[in-house]
Amino acid sequence: MLNTIMKTKLFGWVDRRTGAADIIKSQLTEYPAPKNLNYMWNFGSLALLVLVLQILTGVFLAMYYKPSAEFTYISYTVAFDSVERIMRDVNFGWLIRYMHAVGASAFFVVVYMHIGRGLYYGSYKEPRELLWIIGVVILLIMQGAAFFGYLLPWGQMSFWGATVITNLFGALPVIGESLQEILRGGFAVGDPTLNRFFSLHYLFPLLLVAIVGGHIHALHVVHSNNPEGIDLTKDEEKIMFHPYYTVKDAFGVAVFLLFYCYFVFFNPQAWGYFIEVDNYVPANNLSTPAHIAPVWYLTPWYTILRSFESKLLGVVMMGASLAILFALPFLDRSKVRSARYRPVFKWMVILFFVDVVILGYCGHSAPTPTLKLIGQITTAYYFAFFILLLVVPKFEEKFLKPVPEGI
Amino acid sequence: MKLKQLLIAVGTLAAVSFSQSAIASEGNGAALKHAEIDVTDQAQIRRGLTVFTDVCMGCHSATYITYKGLMDYPEIGLTREEVDELRGDHAITEGIRTELSPEDAASSYGKVPPDLSLIVAARRGGANYIYSLLTGFENDPDGKIPEGNYNKYFPGHRIAMPDPLAWLDHEPEDTAQLEKDAHDVSAFLAFIGDPHQNERRVIGCWVMGFLLLLTLVLWRLKVEVWKDVKKH
Repeated sequence: MLNTIMKTKLFGWVDRRTGAADIIKSQLTEYPAPKNLNYMWNFGSLALLVLVLQILTGVFLAMYYKPSAEFTYISYTVAFDSVERIMRDVNFGWLIRYMHAVGASAFFVVVYMHIGRGLYYGSYKEPRELLWIIGVVILLIMQGAAFFGYLLPWGQMSFWGATVITNLFGALPVIGESLQEILRGGFAVGDPTLNRFFSLHYLFPLLLVAIVGGHIHALHVVHSNNPEGIDLTKDEEKIMFHPYYTVKDAFGVAVFLLFYCYFVFFNPQAWGYFIEVDNYVPANNLSTPAHIAPVWYLTPWYTILRSFESKLLGVVMMGASLAILFALPFLDRSKVRSARYRPVFKWMVILFFVDVVILGYCGHSAPTPTLKLIGQITTAYYFAFFILLLVVPKFEEKFLKPVPEGI
Repeated sequence: MKLKQLLIAVGTLAAVSFSQSAIASEGNGAALKHAEIDVTDQAQIRRGLTVFTDVCMGCHSATYITYKGLMDYPEIGLTREEVDELRGDHAITEGIRTELSPEDAASSYGKVPPDLSLIVAARRGGANYIYSLLTGFENDPDGKIPEGNYNKYFPGHRIAMPDPLAWLDHEPEDTAQLEKDAHDVSAFLAFIGDPHQNERRVIGCWVMGFLLLLTLVLWRLKVEVWKDVKKH
């Protein structure tokens, strides 16, 4: 089909002016990809799909959403009210809003899977260090965008979540207090905060698009890693991206949409994981919810924050837990990429995945002494995993399995 | 190996979500009762509306449900005459609101009763919680909380809302009727929390059906395209 289009006169006209044919060839039809990629390699294209879905649904939501904390009815604010208008009075507003709310969680599900795959198969290793680092930048911007977006419905969890998180910046020495005031647009979270968060919630996805472009460009320079984690030198080990991976990605998209649409149409709150119960209560600065927790995708880092008695230390360690991801390619100097041939690393990384899930669980639950201890142990392992990588390559040498020459 | 990883991941997730739902359904120590509601049942939702206007609306509003909505949502489907009788002088585009002013409510009960438009979504346990709460008035076993303000399911047990269905010390022969009223009004509140939910689920079935077909087609296409790729 693509060939037929490329033979038309119209395409020829465009091609002579843009070089479109060369782009299609170099990026799709003659872009070589390893033939042994497994389904873990589908999550990159899924992340791109969700990004597009979020932007499209977000543009339509912004046509009806009003970022104002002024009151309309008794106990309802303009912002909360406009969300309910979208849910009730705008034609298919409920669909757009649930797609956006479920999409936020779906984005993190696919991106965390994508990152986990990169970790397991050593996709951060030479020559893909910068590709990985750009990816970490994307993660941070995503988390920012999600945090700004969660304030917009102006429910209790929006308000108190933003209060807790902006409070953290106040813990930083010297600049802390003024930074906190700039973020909030005042001394407390209020109408100015809502307005600037809305503005930033629109800005960050635009940044994402640009940086995702850079991520894909970087990928197409160094090419995909593969489950064996070896450099492919022979032509018969590779296949063209189109049609092989376009059709495989399309199949992945369909499977993803099955899960996504189940939640959108049948379980949009996802038992309080995607839209928290307390966020159906309008924001009230005089009444603190019994238990404040961020949405699930931020809870691992929230646990790290809570694991330290000193607020400043907690904030620093939370920042460090994200920043250390940038250093990963330089911490782990093993020449072997894939965990398949690194049995010691394999169990370390699997334990790390379990560790992050437990961290997330602890951050989501109301704090108890037992959970706090579990949180501290898992926080310790989170950092230990990265620090140990400095010595593991040497230690694990005698356990390494023979790496194949080719596939 | 991959299978093992998957099992670990699924196992952990299952454990986490199970323990979460266990916490969620506990309410406040007491396990919630199961509300028998059907948000597609027009008769039940209409009975619930009657309970709402006769009892709840003495103090509570449901701002996001307008008189017009009572006609327009097929799940309620009142006639224009029925709505006119219900609304009196109120505009048809107004939400159904209590006559009790927030100031009077605060001086009588100590707090302003919450708007009930979103109450089912806004409480852990949802309709089960509402049903349990309405049929959860008891005498305080410790005798500390005054009669009528003790509720088995309310966090902290001291509730400002005075026993709306007169559940406390009711005659045994009234139990069935009171439970029915509590079920019906829970169904009504569950419906108005998300009035497009039935439409959503119907469309969802078509969407899932389409996606299943699409997945099947794309899977066959993938297999077809990939059949000339030699396994290593």
